[in-house]
Amino acid sequence: MKSDDVVVCDPRPLTFTQRFYLVEVVKGLAVTLRHFLGNLFARKYTVTVEWPEVKREYSERLRGRHILLAKPDGSPRCVACYMCEEACPAQCIHIEAEDDPTSPSIEYEKRPKVFTIDLLRCVYCGFCVDACPKEAIVMSRTHEMAFGAREEAIVGLDELLQKGPYEQLDLGYRPYFGAPRSKIELPIPVKAR
Amino acid sequence: MGDRDERMAAIRKAFPAGSVEEVPGGDMLTLRVDRRALPELARRLKADPALDCKLLLDVCGADYPGRAERFEVVYHLASLQHPFRLRLKVPVPESDPVVPSVFGVWKAADWFEREAFDMFGIRFEGHPNLKRILCHGAFQGHALRKDYDAGQRWLLREAEQELPAWATERVEDGDHFETQVLNLGPSHPATHGTLRTVVRLDGELITRAEVEIGYLHRCFEKMAESHTWNQVIPYTDRLNYCSAMMNGVGYALAVEKMLGVEAPPRAQTIRLILSELSRIMDHIVDIGANLNDLGAMTPFLYMYEAREEIYSLLEACCGSRLTMSYVRIGGLSHDVPHDFADSVRYLLRRIPKLIGDMETLITNNRIFRDRTEGVGKLSAEEAVDWGWTGPCLRSTGVAYDVRKAYPYLGYETYDFKVPVSHGGDTYARYLVRVEEMKQSLALVEQALARLEAGPVILDDHNVALPPKAEVYTEMESLIWHFKLIMEGMKVPAGEGYGFTEAANGELGYYVVSDGGGKPYRIKVRPPCFAIFQAYPHMIEDHMVADAVAILGSLNVIAGELDR
Amino acid sequence: MGDPGKTPTLPVQGNASARAPHLKDGDPAFLTTRMDALLDAARKNSLWPFPFGTACCAIEFMSFMMSHYDISRFGAEVVRFSPRQSDLLIVAGTVTDKMAPVMVRIYEQMAEPKYVISMGVCACTGGFYRAYHVVQGIDEFIPVDVYVPGCPPTPEALLQGVVKLQEMIARGETHYQRALAAARAAGR
Repeated sequence: MKSDDVVVCDPRPLTFTQRFYLVEVVKGLAVTLRHFLGNLFARKYTVTVEWPEVKREYSERLRGRHILLAKPDGSPRCVACYMCEEACPAQCIHIEAEDDPTSPSIEYEKRPKVFTIDLLRCVYCGFCVDACPKEAIVMSRTHEMAFGAREEAIVGLDELLQKGPYEQLDLGYRPYFGAPRSKIELPIPVKAR
Repeated sequence: MGDRDERMAAIRKAFPAGSVEEVPGGDMLTLRVDRRALPELARRLKADPALDCKLLLDVCGADYPGRAERFEVVYHLASLQHPFRLRLKVPVPESDPVVPSVFGVWKAADWFEREAFDMFGIRFEGHPNLKRILCHGAFQGHALRKDYDAGQRWLLREAEQELPAWATERVEDGDHFETQVLNLGPSHPATHGTLRTVVRLDGELITRAEVEIGYLHRCFEKMAESHTWNQVIPYTDRLNYCSAMMNGVGYALAVEKMLGVEAPPRAQTIRLILSELSRIMDHIVDIGANLNDLGAMTPFLYMYEAREEIYSLLEACCGSRLTMSYVRIGGLSHDVPHDFADSVRYLLRRIPKLIGDMETLITNNRIFRDRTEGVGKLSAEEAVDWGWTGPCLRSTGVAYDVRKAYPYLGYETYDFKVPVSHGGDTYARYLVRVEEMKQSLALVEQALARLEAGPVILDDHNVALPPKAEVYTEMESLIWHFKLIMEGMKVPAGEGYGFTEAANGELGYYVVSDGGGKPYRIKVRPPCFAIFQAYPHMIEDHMVADAVAILGSLNVIAGELDR
Repeated sequence: MGDPGKTPTLPVQGNASARAPHLKDGDPAFLTTRMDALLDAARKNSLWPFPFGTACCAIEFMSFMMSHYDISRFGAEVVRFSPRQSDLLIVAGTVTDKMAPVMVRIYEQMAEPKYVISMGVCACTGGFYRAYHVVQGIDEFIPVDVYVPGCPPTPEALLQGVVKLQEMIARGETHYQRALAAARAAGR
């Protein structure tokens, strides 16, 4: 390595005032006092988030509890293709498929009969969202969800399915975040080559 | 270069034909060595001034059940004088899995050989203390063998907790007072993780020490073998969890090297910015925890503000504060938010103030200096012998930094300096880390100026998932998407060693692919594994309180140490 | 204790919030149960955590302690590294088979009443480490009162876990309290 790429930071010998210690103590106290007074009066340095009354501003991409988005009629958009189950490194998603008799077109021939996520296995990596080809599974910003028992954490279709209109969901990690809160419309036109 | 080839040829001539053969291809010079020739070859490689293989980076095993000689021990060597790296492969038959130990040549082989023994059952003849290191004593079998079931657990009862043999002996000191044995850890406030040190005390002086690790052995390498190449990324985040981004970057670079692809420039720049911020975060935790152990709580509180600010930025980029899962092979999972540059600029203004506050409080504080100067001193030769890299090695005066010696992510185009100190003690390690934080800030500033628009992931359907819009609408993209998710990308068969400068030193990934959608073998070369194996020898003749100070300054992260 | 499968020392049954509906004024047990309520109120507002930090979650535990989230607002800032001085075991991070006996020992050393929060999915279920050296949920070994998901949980999530534990203590729903109530019911 060339010598001009190196910066030598050997310790400098202590000066007399530093050995004497008192001056250094005063300097240190000045720093702590500045922080203390700043906190006390100016609230300039106060960083404490007064949770739960005040919540900090979460990222638009926060990876929290999953939401299964619904079609306009309220049934899940999921077509039980098993992609998220396969992409999950923790294998916390369990899907059982069934034929969808109400399917309007060939687009939705299957639907999930069982769709459970073990929230205590999930590592919230977002791979299921990346894997979903129908924008059916997205993540919300709900991340405060302590459980009293392990069984409570295995949530099924009814708990995962979107509640309320799309615009009011507290959406986190999903495709196209940052853009206006819009999702793709169904049915998706398939553009064959 | 020619000189080195000649020397290599001369060395090979000294051995009978066929015992040292060059393996063609590969990412670095690879020699297949007969195990009988290994000790002599090792000595010559180290002694030869033209080759100068003083740094033993990694020893690991690999299991190929189909081969006649089932196991293979792989050594990675490097020279600090020349840009030269070497890989040795020693085939070992299953019937007689014995290899001569190279501990006598490089001390660094100590724990690495024990790990290969633990994981594959390969015995290293001549090793002074060959026993399990990561798995517990009641464990049966060898976990990384291909025929070992990944879910097979063995319960350990408390009575079976291991104690070194010398710890049960009664020993009297020179004044006929009995010495005592003290157990520090694995749950101890000063260990910051799950490390266990057993020390023999004469008064308050440590006369003998032994370290037990593996309390956080989470089977990263076994797990990686059953996941696709991209699914390994969340696991890499949890290696060195203080700076998760850098592990992912190192892994992605290693795999990209094998694929022969390179991430787009924007992705590289973002990777660099976030890596350097992660380095700062890591040093903050290390310095803060070290100071906390020494009784100075305030700087940690101040520095943690910087960490929280960086967390907010990381959360804005990828959605998680700590374990990011942001890197993908071939780029990044998605672009940074639109206010990224402003957030980074804010950090560039904010962090130096906090570092300044800490420096005012600590750097010339007499108490701190008295506690740390001359404590845990290690000479440069010894540090290299133990396989040290990173800030700990640089604190002994060796100016070795992967970012300068083997630049990646375009580090050669940036203007930054490598901090070096010559003390080799705890205080020198502190100084080097503080200076590194400042250099990292300079790097981030330069990189931010170069951040240009563009894609953040390769447009290659064999490697990266196609854009969502196309997946939704185009049949072909949907098929590629499906194939990548279900089968994983196909990495060409072969092996590679990717290495980067992580916060603790050289983080290497030795990756073997059999051409399938999942890695055949991934071996992580964790920097603090090599650093920590010197620790029991460093603390001898120190007091217990000094041992705490030394441990803090080494920045041993259990997740990376035990994997 | 320490025997997997049979975790709580005393049989746990029923919901102790209806702990003693038959108690009337003047009943000698009346005073002691009201005393319990008072003690629970005191205990829930001054939890002394033992940070059994092993992995990544320990780093988030630091954030939870630091000024941004500041657990002292909930009265649980007195972190003790001695199990004898603490009543809340926060298991933060992966527990391996090698570490499990240590964890059980620490739990046994804690003085009663004691509560356990399992922080992060590794401690709760093993998370994505379905592997040969990782405990698949610490409730194999010790009873857990609150499970906090997340990998690692955000500090807010852990704060909410602590608040939930406080509510559980007030209602008498923790493992320790239910075991105690059951033992009293059996003893009368």
